[in-house]
Amino acid sequence: MKYAIAGANFFMTFATKSVIPTSNSTKVNAPRGPVTFMITLKDINKTYPGAVPLHVLKGINLHVDKGELVSIMGASGSGKSTLLNILGILDNYDSGEYRLDGKLIRNLSENDAAQYRNRMIGFVFQSFNLISYKNAVENVALPLFYQGVSRRKRNVLAMEQLDKMGLADRAHHLPGELSGGQKQRVAIARAMITNPAIILADEPTGALDSSTSRDVMALFKQLNREEGKTIVIVTHDPGVGEQCNRIIRISDGLIVPDNSPLAAAGADNRICRADV
Amino acid sequence: MFDLTNEILQTMRNNKLRTALTGLAVAWGIFMLITLVSVANGLTASFRENMMRADNQKISVWGGVTTTPYHGYREGRRINLKNNDIRNIQRTQGADVTAVTSEIYGTAANISTNTTFVDASYTGVFPSTVDQERLDMVQGRFISDNDMKTRAKVMVLPVEYAQQLFPPEGNNAVGQRVSCGGLSYLIIGVYKGRWHRTVYIPYTTAREFTEDKDKLGQMSVILKGVSSEEEAEGIEKDIRRTLASTHDFDPDDESAVWVWNGVKDALTVQGAMGILNVGVWTLGLLTLLSGIIGISNIMFVSVKERTHEIGIRRAIGARPRQILTQILMESVVITTLFGYIGIVLGTGLTELLSSLDSSGDFLGYAHVNLGIAFQVTVVLIVAGALAGLFPALRALKVKPVEALRDE
Repeated sequence: MKYAIAGANFFMTFATKSVIPTSNSTKVNAPRGPVTFMITLKDINKTYPGAVPLHVLKGINLHVDKGELVSIMGASGSGKSTLLNILGILDNYDSGEYRLDGKLIRNLSENDAAQYRNRMIGFVFQSFNLISYKNAVENVALPLFYQGVSRRKRNVLAMEQLDKMGLADRAHHLPGELSGGQKQRVAIARAMITNPAIILADEPTGALDSSTSRDVMALFKQLNREEGKTIVIVTHDPGVGEQCNRIIRISDGLIVPDNSPLAAAGADNRICRADV
Repeated sequence: MFDLTNEILQTMRNNKLRTALTGLAVAWGIFMLITLVSVANGLTASFRENMMRADNQKISVWGGVTTTPYHGYREGRRINLKNNDIRNIQRTQGADVTAVTSEIYGTAANISTNTTFVDASYTGVFPSTVDQERLDMVQGRFISDNDMKTRAKVMVLPVEYAQQLFPPEGNNAVGQRVSCGGLSYLIIGVYKGRWHRTVYIPYTTAREFTEDKDKLGQMSVILKGVSSEEEAEGIEKDIRRTLASTHDFDPDDESAVWVWNGVKDALTVQGAMGILNVGVWTLGLLTLLSGIIGISNIMFVSVKERTHEIGIRRAIGARPRQILTQILMESVVITTLFGYIGIVLGTGLTELLSSLDSSGDFLGYAHVNLGIAFQVTVVLIVAGALAGLFPALRALKVKPVEALRDE
């Protein structure tokens, strides 16, 4: 399972009854430095214990700016899924330092991790991961349920998000009654509803046909451009990668430097940056 | 709270079969417990009511035949109880004895008014019979000491005869006269009895009609407050000893007089009832336990089935406690809801059984005790919570990332 992450949020406005201290994200115009990076990974190591311990991430260093749309690409087994899980606070890392929007994410309790996921991260999955017996608006509203937002308010907010995705007329349909593209847009609406710092998308177009994939990518680009969301997309589809500001290549547990042959092979992709 | 309830209802609706199966296990357990316990309680109550009343501890004695030679008498001698024995027993026995009585059973008697008659049997009794037999006097009074002294020609009728002799209701029977065996009797009372349908006349009056006026057919020693079988046996021995010295037979000769120790029997029945009660509770609780194991099992499967869903919920920020609460509440709601159905069905069946037994002698006392229903409900809720707790804790051990992978 792979995850991609991207996102910038210039106005971190998640309801601040949260345990999360308000960030330094107001310093939008500060010069680029560690403080303004949305994601900072320093020498991240991760080993899966076992009879033969598996050293998956071997010192990942990475920065993602606020408002960036990046893709993480790599072969299967390269460690990109593990990286995504760590970025999404779904998994722990062994050593190194991960800062999300300036906050150190390390050895969080399950409760804190849940809070961070709920308020700072919006997930979009390859298989949509909608709850099958809840209709679109209920699915979109679910993250707010866990914030204790009142039913009426969260339904209003969920409808707004669905409307933005052009799905207002499908609000009361169950996921089973929606097409793949519609399901993914519902999932994106769910990711957006808490106004998270970043959107992490894991092969978001993996289950979609090419024209629907284009629509979904257009949506990501629109969210990135118009709302300044930081978006990270894990993918192995070069077509998806090339629509991003930047491609981060990962191979054998390490980031491939831009000047390496492997990176050069994908250099053409970067032309697309101009399009964005 | 409304949101949580809504979540639970939605999950239950989404898993109708699972909910129904879980519910069935619980409802069945509760139903069995309620029915068994109620019926057992009813049985115990009717036994107590009908056979082993605390104020009806009685030892009855009949004359017998000796089997051992004694004081120069040969074996095979018939022992006949005499009127004097009543006084002797009264004198020698302790505080446990409340009365010593006898009865004379008359042969068939024809009781008639000017217009109609009934074929009945009469019994000559002491005044204390009204208490021993738990006769319910619906009209008039029972035989008094004065009736005994004066050998009065008075009669106490069962309500059925009163109705036949003085139709249709028979409620004007008291004060009327009837004839029986060529004599005129005054009706002084009408009773309603559970087991008896005999006409009572004073013992002394009945004795006038017997051939041997000194011969006692049977003698009853009425006791009070005897609480152990040993005590009952001791009193029986004392009675034998007293009679043995009067009638010159070996006190150890069991067949010289026949004794029915009703106190001992009643205590034995009481013990058996206690065992029945324990057995029934055990059975009921085991049934309930199997119901609880059923819920745990189904909850476990259900949580496992929903690992992926739980993974999604956690990825979008559900705290472990929120997941735990939801699963627990789900379990508690299912157990309570279906447990309640079980209580209602169990109560229904019990009341039905109770009403089917119109005489009320057997199951007429079977009723659901509200206290039991309440305790069972509490047990249910706790059990439901426990049944949900372990699967829920297990579900939370699965990392969200693994749960998401599980599809």
